[in-house]
Amino acid sequence: MELTVLAISFVILLLMGVPVAFAIGLSSVATILAAGLPVAVVFQKMVGGMQIFSFLAIPFFIFAGELMLYGGIADRIVRFANSLVGHVRGGLGMSNVVGCTLFGGVAGSPLADVSAMGSVMIPLMKKEGYHADYAVNVTTHAALVGALMPTSHNIIIFTLATTGIASVSVLGLIVACLIPALILTLCNLAAAYFVAVKRGYPTRGDFVGWAEVARSFAAALPGLFIILIILGGILSGVFTATESAATAVIWALVVTGLVYRSLSWKHFLKACAKACKTTGVVLLLIGISAAFGYFMALYEVPQKTGALMSSVTQEAWLIFLMVNVMLFVLGTFLDMAATILICTPIFLPICAQYGMSPVQFGVMMLINCALGLNTPPVGTTQFVGCAIGGISVGEVMRTIWPFYGALVAALLLVTYVPAFSLWLPSVLLGK
Amino acid sequence: MLLYTRLCAGLSRASLMLAVFLLLAVVACVQWQVIGRYVLNDTPTWAEALALLLVLYMTSLGVAVGVRDAGHIGLESLATLLPERFQRKLAIVVHLLVATFGVLMAKSGWLWATGKWNEKKPMLGLPEGVDYIPLVVAGTLIVLFSVEHIIALVRGHDVEPAWN
Amino acid sequence: TEFRSSDVHNSDDYPTVAAVKYMSDLLKTATGGKHSIKVFNKGALGSEKETIDQTKIGALDFTRVNISPMNAICSKTMVPTMPFLFRSVDHMRKVLDGPVGEEILKDCEQHGFVGLAFYDSGARSIYGKKPVKSLADTKGMKIRVQQSDLWVALMGAMGANPTPMPIGEVYTGLKTGLLDAAENNVPSYDGFKHYEAVKYYSRTEHSMAPEMLLMSKAVYDKLPPAEQQAIRKAAKDSVAFQRKKWDEQEAKSLAVVKGGGAEIVEVDKASFEKAMGPVYDKFITTPDLKRLVKAVQDTK
Ligand code: NA
Ligand code: NA
Repeated sequence: MELTVLAISFVILLLMGVPVAFAIGLSSVATILAAGLPVAVVFQKMVGGMQIFSFLAIPFFIFAGELMLYGGIADRIVRFANSLVGHVRGGLGMSNVVGCTLFGGVAGSPLADVSAMGSVMIPLMKKEGYHADYAVNVTTHAALVGALMPTSHNIIIFTLATTGIASVSVLGLIVACLIPALILTLCNLAAAYFVAVKRGYPTRGDFVGWAEVARSFAAALPGLFIILIILGGILSGVFTATESAATAVIWALVVTGLVYRSLSWKHFLKACAKACKTTGVVLLLIGISAAFGYFMALYEVPQKTGALMSSVTQEAWLIFLMVNVMLFVLGTFLDMAATILICTPIFLPICAQYGMSPVQFGVMMLINCALGLNTPPVGTTQFVGCAIGGISVGEVMRTIWPFYGALVAALLLVTYVPAFSLWLPSVLLGK
Repeated sequence: MLLYTRLCAGLSRASLMLAVFLLLAVVACVQWQVIGRYVLNDTPTWAEALALLLVLYMTSLGVAVGVRDAGHIGLESLATLLPERFQRKLAIVVHLLVATFGVLMAKSGWLWATGKWNEKKPMLGLPEGVDYIPLVVAGTLIVLFSVEHIIALVRGHDVEPAWN
Repeated sequence: TEFRSSDVHNSDDYPTVAAVKYMSDLLKTATGGKHSIKVFNKGALGSEKETIDQTKIGALDFTRVNISPMNAICSKTMVPTMPFLFRSVDHMRKVLDGPVGEEILKDCEQHGFVGLAFYDSGARSIYGKKPVKSLADTKGMKIRVQQSDLWVALMGAMGANPTPMPIGEVYTGLKTGLLDAAENNVPSYDGFKHYEAVKYYSRTEHSMAPEMLLMSKAVYDKLPPAEQQAIRKAAKDSVAFQRKKWDEQEAKSLAVVKGGGAEIVEVDKASFEKAMGPVYDKFITTPDLKRLVKAVQDTK
């Protein structure tokens, strides 16, 4: 009965256009009233859900990303990526992929990635004669890799979503995401190249030479150093994950303010304000999802879902496929953080029961949810890309398939080959 | 009514400025913890607790400003299928629902804050109730900003973000 | 009614989880099937602090928590958390079964809780990459503590550098050397796999803070007296069961950590006990608390 109230009120509110976080909150209130419990519990869970030390990394990663966005690192990464692959057929598409992946390591969210790289690359590509739909699709798909890079706040969100179900360390997941990120990038490169050849996009000059590559790399290096601070800082035991994120903020300030000298006071304030608003949106979602999670635990949704799925099939590969399809459907309607928070407690136990390690599940979930960012009706990354490219979502959707297909292939690789996620952590962290 | 819009704009701007200050304070707390551990060999035990408290205040202000600037993500494609007249009515209902949530948030926050005012928070020595004050603040601001949106919809103009 | 009870431990067979399930069976028999208890473990309903608050307002019927988070709510619970207070596990059990234990449980009632029983949580000791043999060894050590004033003061009195950190980050912290040591009972040293990161478990046994089973007074007061008594009795009767499970768990975990290469180090406890004066001065402040501490020390 209470679960029916929860599900129906949530869907109705969502369809009405109530923002996701408020839809979760209001349907939780309706459910708790139906259960005859005090409404105050919903808000207790909300505050508790926000007050977790590891979550501090989220505002820090968002803040560092905003500083880098206004501070000139994007331009330097574009120049480096261009010098590296700019001369290949569809060169700008390829350098876009490389650039987005690198910037994803600094900004850590697909949204920040597409905002920063897209605003540099998409106009540039259009000027060079690439079609807007190609430019937007390459950028939005390359930006998804940001969800797997060391600064990804979604990694933190997943780690916290596993509390009480499995023990996944932030460091372990960060390391596990590195090879899948590489696979995603290769798939993106392949799609960008294939479509460029098919459409006959031009090559653009000759290779600039390794000296120029080295020079442009050196210029981009101070910004990219953030990746090293996070990985090296935690691995060597200098910082906790949260402290490394705070240090990334300081480093972003130093690089943009003192090294590149491209961050004005006005831009600094703008970056701060944007970070506060984004943090508010993300943390509200996290907090209120804790209330949702409370009902799921109270009415044993994970156990019931698991039993239902087991009754349909006992084949591990089919279970994993079903989980992926369900995540995909939910990810179409929900934002990434919401999908992770709501679905991890439901699907992680069942995947674990069929032999998938929690870390591999995390990588799979991150890729799957990231894909949802590029599909309407709620596709934040795609919307931003379209806005920059001056093109409608419909037009972009018509030619999305090679790009989307490449990433679905990457998702399946990660789902069915555990070694892609588990080998690197076992080498670097033991066990 | 212009006065009310100006009041909300001012509140939103002030909230965002305070939130920025708090964000910088949270970064400072966590950095100080690192410095304390390595340089002073005396980890400041209050730093983590204070950072967690300040981030609540910062978030609640960010949440409220997000309501005013329409920053919270939702599904909009279905509403656009409706005729314009219904779209506006639906938008008003949505803002009313968000305002309702704001009321419940403020009320529950007040209940917890007063109920836990006599318990002492570890590490900081403050009342436990201070954790729940942000709910009261954010809830109230959400109600004010939702009402502003409803008024704007009725009069047919937009709410301009106060600071971008 | 099927009452709801919360627990933060992950294992469905953890001694406290098993004990409340056992209590449910006893209660079911005693009330002819009318009442039972469903245990939500793995922290599904919230942290210990959260479930305490839920219990207080009647949103949750029972909660099984460590005594430490109750310190801020009812002051007498401070006593059994004090460092080096109990001489042995037997001493602790005797005190908690006696009038001192009763007085502490009773104290919860004016704060909205019916204190039903104490369960064992064993003795907490320091484990790290270096052995701790006496007070001199903890000097300057970065030791992880929970976010609690008492624990910070305790580690401070040992001359260590108390470092509050969430439990989830401790494994990485120990492994990378960010922390020199942490402290907990043997089953946690085993359960969190911390023995894989650091090898020396030094038996400081600095605290034997027990677990508690609390019921919401709001819920309790609505029941007829006969059923209230049945609940109290079932809870008391589950204590012996929990202790037996605890001893088994401890022995099992000890074998696991030893098999994993951990070394158990014996400690000069007297050197630590002498340093605890400031901790008692800071937290045992009222005449009531001083009387209770004395009563514990006098329990033979
Ligand atoms: Na991310
Ligand atoms: Na989507």
